[in-house]
Amino acid sequence: MSAESDYVTLISSDGYSFVVQRSSACISAAIRRMLDPSLGFAESKTNTCRFENINGLVLEKVCEYFYYNEKHKNSKDVPDMDVPAELCLELLMAADYLNV
Amino acid sequence: MSSLAGRGRGKIRPPRRGLASADVDFETTWAVLERAFREIHTKNASALSFEELYRNAYKIVLKKKGDELYAKVAKFEEQWLGENVRLQITRLLTPPLMVLDASGRSLESTAEKRISGEVFLKALKEAWDDHQVCMGMLTDVLMYMDRVYCTDHRQPSIFAKSMGLFRDQILRTPVKTDLPTLLDILKRIILDQIQMDRDGEAINPHLIKANIYMLEGLYESEQEVEDEKLYLQSFEQDFLGTSAAFYREEGERLMKESDAGTYCRHAKRRIDEEHDRCRSTLSESTTPKIQRVVEDELIRHKMKGLIEMDSGVQYMVDNDKLQELSLVFDLEARVDPKKSELTRAMQKIITEMGTNINNAAIAASTAPPPAAALAEKEGEKSKPASSAAKINQQTVAALKWVEDVLALKDRFDGIWKKAFEEDQTLQVALNRSMADVINAFNRGSEYISLYIDENMKKGIRNKTQAEIDQTLEKAILLLRYLQDKDIFETYYKKHLCKRLLLNKSQSIDVEKQMISRMKIELGNSFTLKLEAMFKDMTLSEELTNGYRNYINSLGQADPKRVDLSINVLTSMTWPLEAFRGGQTSDQANESGKTQVVFPPQVERVKMGFERYYNEKHSGRCLTWLSNMGDADIKATFPNGGKDGKPRTHEVNCSTYAMLILLLFNDLPAGASISLEEIQARTNIPPNDLARNLQSLAVAPKTRFLVKEPMSRDVKPGDRFTFNDNFKSQFVKIKVGVVSAGNKVEGDRERKETEKKNNDSRGFAVEAAIVRIMKQRKELAHTSLLNETISQLSAQFKPDVAMIKKKVESLIEREYLERIDDAPVPSYRYLA
Repeated sequence: MSAESDYVTLISSDGYSFVVQRSSACISAAIRRMLDPSLGFAESKTNTCRFENINGLVLEKVCEYFYYNEKHKNSKDVPDMDVPAELCLELLMAADYLNV
Repeated sequence: MSSLAGRGRGKIRPPRRGLASADVDFETTWAVLERAFREIHTKNASALSFEELYRNAYKIVLKKKGDELYAKVAKFEEQWLGENVRLQITRLLTPPLMVLDASGRSLESTAEKRISGEVFLKALKEAWDDHQVCMGMLTDVLMYMDRVYCTDHRQPSIFAKSMGLFRDQILRTPVKTDLPTLLDILKRIILDQIQMDRDGEAINPHLIKANIYMLEGLYESEQEVEDEKLYLQSFEQDFLGTSAAFYREEGERLMKESDAGTYCRHAKRRIDEEHDRCRSTLSESTTPKIQRVVEDELIRHKMKGLIEMDSGVQYMVDNDKLQELSLVFDLEARVDPKKSELTRAMQKIITEMGTNINNAAIAASTAPPPAAALAEKEGEKSKPASSAAKINQQTVAALKWVEDVLALKDRFDGIWKKAFEEDQTLQVALNRSMADVINAFNRGSEYISLYIDENMKKGIRNKTQAEIDQTLEKAILLLRYLQDKDIFETYYKKHLCKRLLLNKSQSIDVEKQMISRMKIELGNSFTLKLEAMFKDMTLSEELTNGYRNYINSLGQADPKRVDLSINVLTSMTWPLEAFRGGQTSDQANESGKTQVVFPPQVERVKMGFERYYNEKHSGRCLTWLSNMGDADIKATFPNGGKDGKPRTHEVNCSTYAMLILLLFNDLPAGASISLEEIQARTNIPPNDLARNLQSLAVAPKTRFLVKEPMSRDVKPGDRFTFNDNFKSQFVKIKVGVVSAGNKVEGDRERKETEKKNNDSRGFAVEAAIVRIMKQRKELAHTSLLNETISQLSAQFKPDVAMIKKKVESLIEREYLERIDDAPVPSYRYLA
């Protein structure tokens, strides 16, 4: 995989992988730094991030949020994103972790 | 490496739910992180997983062990810097670099010093760069700690902390005991290098710049207060100090060694250099400060000396060194927005040059050739020719004065435009000096008027409209500077009057243009009378035509009738005494009263016109000013033509000359008349009579009369005969009128003008006072003075003594009274 492609792969703790646009994923400060080529960590070399403490269900929602954010970045009166109640806590923790 | 990572992962794999509840062993986790950090510092980061490190730090912080982690990281960094990095740098220090005051006594050449300095700078820069990159990575990994722990506990971020550590461990620690710290060495090296740069040696600006960046990035304390940057605190002060000393020394040396122009160029170059240096080598933020230092040392303290140098501003102006002047201006403008030094110098120069011009004019006008001076003593009757020469000389001096002043003005305007960037302050100063120069010359008003006169009579011939405009503009320009505008008005009126009546003016249009320009410049009241004069001229023309038609309508075509053209002048507006040149006012009054005797044929016409005029305008009194008129007569000379045949000439001469010639009409051929007789029969004032006889009997081209005895002067007892043998190749002959020249006033005339002027000023002052008092009713003395002066300033600058005198006289005449019990001297208006 090239050093800097437009898409990156996020892998959850239970093995699901999500290929998302780099720019969208970089909304998360943690992911952004993981992938920053100037720092030269392993993630930036492979363009793949493996999250040991986030499961597929939550990561899917996170990715959904990335795009949701990207889409409504500059608009007003944004419709609320649908978040299932049972995922709330875990999502919040993931958000804290990823610094979204 | 992979086994390490694997071990970490195995240990801390969390249960699916409850990240926080995972059991975390701090020691193990830290061990993982520490190993990773070491890898980072040795640039082996690519094998590390960011996520894993991040997760580990995250967990430690979640477990409320953030403080421990923070302390551990700090300690780790401190050790790393202290043990590894410092060693690397100190290894590069050559002994001379460590001695602080090596600059003076160092044995090695500058080149060697430079090279070892550069090596050191390079090492330091690399260490700093490495530290920054590594700390950047560490900070990223520890982002969660920064975000959660540091913010909550008000600790500086780990990045700032580690920068502080770098400062303390590397820069602030003495290399060995008793030796300077690296920071001091660094400072000195940079200063040395800058000095080399100033001396013209090549240095590596990027290297220094990098180190300056470092100093800029570091702060005195952990708080990172903006103005406590290490750069500002420890380096900049020293830098400015050294520079000031350097430039002070250099400035003094240059002042001694080179001329002002070189100095200016040098100073300018230095300023630019420092500017560039700040950009390329040091920090932009220093630019204004170092510029100030250079300006202070090279310009502000030296400006006065510079301007007064032999090769200073005076020299530059004299030699038209515009470029250098503009440099001086530029420099001065940097340090002093008012440019007071330069202004003072320029004013001095203008005043000097102006005084020279004034003196030259005075010298030229008061040093007539001896012969003329002698003639002047004998009186004006004796030798009009030589006195005319003197007058001409004065006129030339006047014209020269005006031209010189204009040239001066042009020159300084040029300098101002080209060298001084059209600066406002300087313009004001230059203008004031010009005004001073012009007003310092007491004949300024007269000379300017004379200049216009000359141009109106001769100057504008063969000139395009544009050139004429330019000439007029110049005259107005001078006028603008003039303070005593009322005196100018008097003179201008006089000159204009002569031009109009004697038809000397080249173009009435241009005259009118001039008037309208003056109107714009000086206001309506100033030109009122001048315009009235033009109006009179137009009216007179209409009147003459009207009269001619009236005569024609009478139908008696009399071949012998004398044609009359007349100018009726309003006595108030025309300065008619201008034509009684050379007479005192007593004589003038007398000649005004005594009417010359006209021969019957002329007298008839005169009566006819008076009748006609009184029909049209009743209640007006006409006074005939025959001394201003001229006449066309036909004269027949018996032996004038070829072969002794009679020939008729058309002679244009003054009215008086006509009267004299007419006397000879009735005389038998060959008979003579004495001077006294002519005087008695015509009643022409003796002055004018002598002058006219002179032009008729002495001037070679118009010798219609033969004088007995033949001499140049007309004396009592001389006798005159008609010159039968007069010959001329022209049909038309003009008899010159001796005194009607374009001339400066004689001393007597001047006194008179001054006296009259003072009188008219007196009236103006009185009028102003009464106007003011009528409006205010009561006013303190000082404010009355001020108001009077400001009211009259458009016309002239009143004399305080005169105002006081006028106030006194008004009190005497009971227009005003003193208020007795007022705290300050005050007056009351008495209605």
